[in-house]
Amino acid sequence: MHPAFPRRPLLLAGLSLPAIAHAQGIEPAETPRRAARWHDLRQAILGDRPVAPAGAALDLTAPARAQDAALVPIAIALSAEIAPQVTTLTLVVDENPLPLAAVFRAGQPGALRALTARIRVDAYTLLHAVAETADGRLLEAARFVKAAGGCSAPIGGDLEAARQRMGRMRLALPEGPPGPGRAVPVQVAISHPNTSGLQMDPLTRLSIPAEYIREIRVTYAGAEVIGVAPDISIAENPTFGFTLAGEPGGELRVEAADNRDRRFAGTWTLGTTG
Amino acid sequence: MAGRAREGQGASRGVPVGRRASIALGGALLGGAAPVAVEVAPGAFVLPGEAAEASAANLGAIANTGFLLGRDAVAVVDPGGSLAHGQRLRRAVEAATRLPIRHVILTHAHPDHVLGGAAFADLGAEVVAHARLPAALAQRREFDRRVLAREVGEAAAGSDALAPTRLVADRLALDLGGRVLDLRAWPTAHTDHDLTVLDSGAGMLWAGDLLFLGRIPALEGSLAGWLRVLAALRDLPAVRAVPGHGPASVPWPEAAADLARYLEALRDGTRAAIAAGIGIAEAPSRVAPEEARRWPLAEAYHARNVTVAYRELEWE
Repeated sequence: MHPAFPRRPLLLAGLSLPAIAHAQGIEPAETPRRAARWHDLRQAILGDRPVAPAGAALDLTAPARAQDAALVPIAIALSAEIAPQVTTLTLVVDENPLPLAAVFRAGQPGALRALTARIRVDAYTLLHAVAETADGRLLEAARFVKAAGGCSAPIGGDLEAARQRMGRMRLALPEGPPGPGRAVPVQVAISHPNTSGLQMDPLTRLSIPAEYIREIRVTYAGAEVIGVAPDISIAENPTFGFTLAGEPGGELRVEAADNRDRRFAGTWTLGTTG
Repeated sequence: MAGRAREGQGASRGVPVGRRASIALGGALLGGAAPVAVEVAPGAFVLPGEAAEASAANLGAIANTGFLLGRDAVAVVDPGGSLAHGQRLRRAVEAATRLPIRHVILTHAHPDHVLGGAAFADLGAEVVAHARLPAALAQRREFDRRVLAREVGEAAAGSDALAPTRLVADRLALDLGGRVLDLRAWPTAHTDHDLTVLDSGAGMLWAGDLLFLGRIPALEGSLAGWLRVLAALRDLPAVRAVPGHGPASVPWPEAAADLARYLEALRDGTRAAIAAGIGIAEAPSRVAPEEARRWPLAEAYHARNVTVAYRELEWE
């Protein structure tokens, strides 16, 4: 197993059951149970390694009250000093049935400087982001998010239409292509129902099997920019933002695979018009 | 539609109360101001909800509810947002007629419309709803009850929805005796299980939350779908409508104009934001802000509406 992609879903799921029962969806932020839960989760995901508060090095943004529990936008901003040193970011939604939402790996320095993602939130929860630096330090930040039911919420629109669209990709470059000395924000979206396994078909009342993107790799001009190992806490149509440095005119390639081993790819040549 | 109220007269006749203006309820029963059921058409009554969020002060009575009298039976349209709200509605029915309540119609599963169902649980009335409502109700009922308890407090105790006993996949005619209601189940719009009631004889459309006035619409289903359904509703043979939120009755289809304008501004603004590369986190504050300012409770719902619209439109 690659150390940057800790996958221990069975362990985490077992750990989560009694806590979910306690949580009942709308427990307030400051309870000893929440602190204990994060302690256990951190142990399961990161082991015994010491973790320090990130302070100004890492800013985790999330809505205090989500507009849509099945699609909660989050952002992680790294300070200019720390950004080039960060090799991975781990995102944890403490109260979700599978709390480890995603691990992001920087292929080029600074790729994780301004990261965005969309997650599902199943119950009022603490959200944790942990940055790992090249010299092995772990820095954590937390946010409290009020939202509930996101993991079992029905998919938006028609599942059949979503399946037919599966694998289509969108690329957004709101500031255009990168240039010399100018890294730019990039947003990549992959059409995929990303079912959690906790959703129900409204007609048959049967649960919809989990089918979700579990690996994404982005390269630019042949070199890796970012790798993502997402799980079912990522919202439908997985959408991620990162930072891209390089010369204009290169080819951006996104490769993705889901848990059924379907593989998807998209390529764009980033010209002067983006 | 001021409260031209008379206390419960005619309640013993067992026939539709005909042209009397409206029915008031005994204030003593409620420990407060008497809510007034407005007679919006002969034998058709609306208990207007308050244009606010659910609270201890309004006991969750924020949506319009009502009932229709036939020669043989009564149909309730939406039992209300809490047990207290449902009981208030039931007293309004009992003040108007001795006919039995045989049908409780649910326009959709939102808590402000269904959690008063408990007030009608003992009647054995059939509960009529869109074929997709049971799934939506199963999904949200427990959460909605907890939220109501938090918003309204102890007075929310006992509030609950009734399980549908008769499902409508397309259309259903309900005959109350001399009054046939035309129920229609719609494709995804405000929710994925909206149902309307057309009282053809009175030219009155009971629109549920497919029609909002004076309170910002809440989008949960499909923006494009809502615009399509609204266009279809405009073509129905009705001259008045009962909105899910707003005055007891409004001219139809003229009263659809504000809602249509909001939905179109939401659609056009969201499309523009997506095209400009504005993310879903930033879009709520940047889509149709002028339009949002025209609506009460925009601060509570507009951002969510933009989020739902964005989610729908970014892959269109």
